[in-house]
Order: sequence, then C-alpha cells, then structure tokens
Amino acid sequence: MRRLSFAAAAIAALLVSAAALADPARDAILAAFADQAKSADAAFAGFSTDRGRAFWTATHSGGKPDTPSCTTCHGADPKAAGQTRAGQSIAPMAVSVTPDRFTDPEKVAKWFLRNCNSVLGRECTAAEKGDVITYLSSQ
Amino acid sequence: MIGTARTLRELSVSPRRVRVWDLPTRIFHWLLVLAVGVALWTGFIAPEWWLGLHRGAGYAIVLLLAFRFVWAFYGSEYSRLTYFIRASRHFGDYLRGLLLLRPPHYVGHNPVGALMVFALFAMLIALVASGLLVEGGEEKRGPLAGLVAYQTGFVAKGLHRILVYLLLSMILVHIAGVLVESRLQRASLVRGMITGWMRVPEGMPMPSPRPAHPLRAAVALGLFTSVAAGVLLVLSRIAPPGIPDLAPNATVAAECGACHWPYHPSLLPRTSWAALLAGLEDHFGEDASLPADTLAEIATYYERYAAEAWDSEAARRFATVSPNEPLRITDTPYWVAKHAGLDPAVFDAPAVRSKSNCIACHRDADSGRFDDQAIALPKGASP
Repeated sequence: MRRLSFAAAAIAALLVSAAALADPARDAILAAFADQAKSADAAFAGFSTDRGRAFWTATHSGGKPDTPSCTTCHGADPKAAGQTRAGQSIAPMAVSVTPDRFTDPEKVAKWFLRNCNSVLGRECTAAEKGDVITYLSSQ
Repeated sequence: MIGTARTLRELSVSPRRVRVWDLPTRIFHWLLVLAVGVALWTGFIAPEWWLGLHRGAGYAIVLLLAFRFVWAFYGSEYSRLTYFIRASRHFGDYLRGLLLLRPPHYVGHNPVGALMVFALFAMLIALVASGLLVEGGEEKRGPLAGLVAYQTGFVAKGLHRILVYLLLSMILVHIAGVLVESRLQRASLVRGMITGWMRVPEGMPMPSPRPAHPLRAAVALGLFTSVAAGVLLVLSRIAPPGIPDLAPNATVAAECGACHWPYHPSLLPRTSWAALLAGLEDHFGEDASLPADTLAEIATYYERYAAEAWDSEAARRFATVSPNEPLRITDTPYWVAKHAGLDPAVFDAPAVRSKSNCIACHRDADSGRFDDQAIALPKGASP
C-alpha cells in the first residue's frame, strides 16, 4: 500500500513537472519566435539547447562594459539565483526551479530588449531568444 | 535620606564634622557624572548608531536636573537654592582671599563653586534644549518633531556642538576647582561627595543645618513629572510637518526593485529624477528602458514625492547634488562625506554588493528616515 502511494506520488510529481516544463503560454512564445526565425531565415530548422547554452555562457562584445555575458548577473548555474550589479537577487532562470519563467510575453519582450542591449549592444534575433528559452527550459 | 535625629547624634559623636551632602544629592551628583559621561562618549567617540543611547543620556540628564531643581527647595541645608544663593554673594570676599592664598572656609559650596554649579546647570539645560531641537528638526523624532523645521534643527546642531566644548571646559574648571579647594582645606572634596561628611574648620561655629523633606520633594517631583509627561504626550501627537504620507507604489517596487533597491523619492530633487527617468536606455551602464505607460506612472510618483516635498534630513541633504553627476545619489557631497570613514570593502560584502544598496545597512531606508540608530553594518564588515 505504502509502495503504491509512493509510486502514485512519484507519477504525480513527474506529471506536475512535465506540466510546468510544457506550459502552453511558453509554447506560444516559442512558436512566435520560431515563426519570426523562419521568416528571417528559410533554412531555420528549430531551436537548439546547445546553441542556447553557448549563447548564454559566451562573453559577448558590443554591449555595455560592465555586462559582457548573461551569466554576469544570472550566474553560471541557471538553477541558482543570480544577483544584479546593484545587489538584488534574481530568481533562478532554470524553468525546473522557477516554473513561471518565459510565460509572460510582455516580461519576455521587456527583458530581452533591455538585456540584449546591455550585453550585446543590439536586439537579439528571434533564433537567439528561442535558443535561450529552449536551453533554460531544459534546465 | 537623613533625619534630624540621626544628624544630631552623629554630630555629637564627631563634633567637628558635618553631613554636608545628603544621600540624594550625592546619588544625583554621581548619576549626573555618569549620564554626562555617556552623552559625551556617545556624542564624540561611539559610532553613529549609538545615537539612541545618546538620546537616553539626554533624557536622563533632564530627569536628574528636574530632581535637583525640586531638591533645591526640599533637600537638606547645603543642597538648597537659598544656601547656594547666599554662598554666591560672598564671591568678592572669596576671590580676594583666593588671590592671597588664604580663602575663607565654607561648609558646602564656596562662592565660586556655587556659581559654577549654576553655570553648569544652565549649560546642561542649553545642551538638552538644543539636543531636543536637533532631534525634532533633523531626526523628526521626540517631543519637538511636530514643531521644529529641519533648518532649525540644523542650526541647533551647530549650537549643540559649540556648547559641548564650553561644557567640557567648565567640567575641567570644576574638577580643577575641587582639587585646589581640597588642597587649601586639606580635606578631599571628592571624598566629601562620596561619604557626605566634611570637616568643619577650627574656630568656625557649628552650623545647624535644616533637614530635608523627602516626602514633599517626592510629591513635587511627581507633580513635575506628571505635568511634563502630559506636555510631552500632547506634543508627540503633532504630526511632523514636511513628512508626506507616502503611499507605497507596486509598479516602483516591481520595476525599479527588479535590479536595485527602489530608491526613496526624497533622495534626489525633481530635476534629477526627471533627467534620470528620461535616460533609462543607458541607466548607469545598463539598458533599463520601460514601456511608456509604466514609465509615466513611475515619473509621476518621483515627481510628486521628490526631495522638495520633504523636510527630512535625508531629503534636505541629498537635494544638493554633485555638479558632475547630478543623477547619482552616491556622488552627492553629503553621501560622500557621511560614508568617507567606512572601509570600502563594506560595499563589496556579499550582502551589500553595491553602494546603491542603501537598505543593506540602513534598515529603515524604505521609509526615507535614515535614522542613525537604524544603521547596522552586515556581519564581518567593520566601520
């Protein structure tokens, strides 16, 4: 009986985390970025976790000198909290730890606009945004 | 407390001694020494967040002076106002004697000593009064907070600082006088203030001191403190002028607070806030751009509650911005001066991380008060 309830709990937990990872709002945001990426480049064949990780951890140039990388503020471990340069804590970016990440289109648009400008000195492409969301959703 | 019977009995045992200082007077004297000592220590040496103790010492001095005022009417002979006044009338005679190094003897205070006591008490009253003005005007605390403007408190602080040096020099003269008089009388006046007994010189008639009236003193002191407490209560009900009722703003907390402690609007003047919010695309090295409607809401809030709307110490001081960096609070002359004594490593501590993180040390930063006693450096950081 006890074993059964453990199994049920485990299945429930899996279902919950799967549901958190596959949020319809996030899927919609990703789908919109995919459409944009396709119209920008006909050869676009889907987002990539590996490209997302490389972009997230890379040291970029062209942005503001104090913020060369996403990890400058978000930290090297996406499952851990980051810290802004002014000392405020940033909730972990990994969707497994912060399930409501990338589910609010306005928030996503605002922060990509600001942070891409700070880190790269330009707006990010739809492909780059989709890769990053895909990477952080896998974490 | 000494009764007449006991005094007479002790006098009969040792006829050349007299109980000059009754027990309440002696306790008063040494408690006053302690309170003034604490006030001097917390004013000059201890870090700023000990201001609460400084204030406590000030209130203790008020209570002690109130007691002494009452005891000047109901205390025993040598503690009485009439005795002090009589003693101070002999000032000329005493001074002439002092110059010839043959000053006349007095039981209790000599004329110079009596005058010094009046002067010391007047000085303490002036210090306490100016301290209350500082507390009310600058800190917006205490019984005068509802009546005194920041500028008045600021002027009172200058006065308080000058007076304390006068007090220090008077204390030195007081101690020097005690030592000189002890030498001339060949009896320790300090011990007299501890035991209460002083020798009556040969040839001087034994005085017949008036006894104390402790009960009447207690009633008078009770009346005095009740009236004073009532006045303080009424005064403390008056809301301080120039402290707007600042409604917390969720948009400011969320948008500004995402990256840094959301600054209290009183910390910069209107022109600085307007320029800062107009340039969020390059906000101290980061892009902090906002949608137009959000920006408008935040701009309205900072316009309304900017430094000009406040009479607090922080607002009045931060209203003077740095000419080169008018948007940077941490470059204002007041900020720089107030943090100059800190080890710069404090700002790198994990709990602080940045000079802009006011609330890491100023626990009351959200209210804009920035009280001295609300400062707490993070663990491991030293001033």
